[in-house]
Amino acid sequence: MAEQNMLLVEPETMLRRTVAMTARSLGMAHIHEAASVTMARELLRHQKFDGAVIAIDAGGGHDLSLLDQLRQGRTLSKATIPVAVLAEQCDGTLLAALRERGVNRVILKPFRARTLLDCFSALAQG
Amino acid sequence: MIPAPTPENEAGRIAALYAALLLDTPREERFDKIVEFAAREFDVPIALISLIDSDRQWFKAAVGLGEVCQTGRDISFCGHAIMRNDIMVIPDALQDPRFADNPLVTDWPHIRFYAGAPLIQRDGYALGTLCVIDTKPRQFDDVELAILSTLRGLLMQELEGGNG
Repeated sequence: MAEQNMLLVEPETMLRRTVAMTARSLGMAHIHEAASVTMARELLRHQKFDGAVIAIDAGGGHDLSLLDQLRQGRTLSKATIPVAVLAEQCDGTLLAALRERGVNRVILKPFRARTLLDCFSALAQG
Repeated sequence: MIPAPTPENEAGRIAALYAALLLDTPREERFDKIVEFAAREFDVPIALISLIDSDRQWFKAAVGLGEVCQTGRDISFCGHAIMRNDIMVIPDALQDPRFADNPLVTDWPHIRFYAGAPLIQRDGYALGTLCVIDTKPRQFDDVELAILSTLRGLLMQELEGGNG
C-alpha cells in the first residue's frame, strides 16, 4: 500500500515534531507539519492529503476556516478525507459545528504525542 | 546492587563531556522544555537529562527531584544506560538484581520504573541520558520507545547544534 500523506496543523513545535518524527521512525504515514493555518493552506495548495489533524484553538475562540476549506473541496484533497481536531475544550455548540463539518474525532487537552499517533493510525485506516 | 560500570572509552568520554561545556551550567529553557514534555507525555513524576561525570550524575534538566541536582554515579541507573546504544528499560527495579537494593529504589525517590535513552554523540561518546522514571512498575511499548527515541533525537540536535 502506498504511504499515506497526512497533515498535522499544530502550533506547539515539540509536540508537532515529535509526532511527525516518531511516525516516520515507525514507518507510519508521512505526516506533513504546519505550525499555523497559513502554513497549512500553503501545503494544501501543493499536496493532496489522505487525512488531517487540525488544532482549532485561536485567541480564545475557534478557527474552523481550514476545516471549511477542506470540506468545501477548495483544496487538492478529497473533501471527504478523515479529519480530527485538537481543542482545549469543547461545548455543545462547538460539537454541533464539528459534527456538521463531518469531523471524525475531537481530541481535548492535554495533547499527547501518543494520542495523536494513535489518531493518525485510525485516520489512515479510514 | 551492581554499581554503574565504566565504559572502555571512559577517558575520551569524560573529555567529550567536559568539552560540551554543560556540567554545572545554569538551567536552560530549551532543555527544561524537553523534560517537561517527556514527563507529561509519559505521565511520570520524574524526567531528567542526566550527564555522567567521573563520580556523579548531574542533571542538566529535571522534573520531579526538587532541589536535588546530582547523585553518586555508582548508584545511578543512567550509568548503566550509557553502556548500551538502545534504550534501557527497567519495568520494575525491585525485581531487577542490579537495582533491587539500590538506595534510589529502597529510599527516596523510590524508583520502580526506568527508561533511559543514551545521549550518544556522533563520535560515539555517551554523555548521559534522557530518562523517565516512575514510582510504580510499568511497561513501555514500541510506540513509547519510539517517542522517547524521538525526544532523544531532538535533544541531541540541541546538544550538537548548540542552538543556544
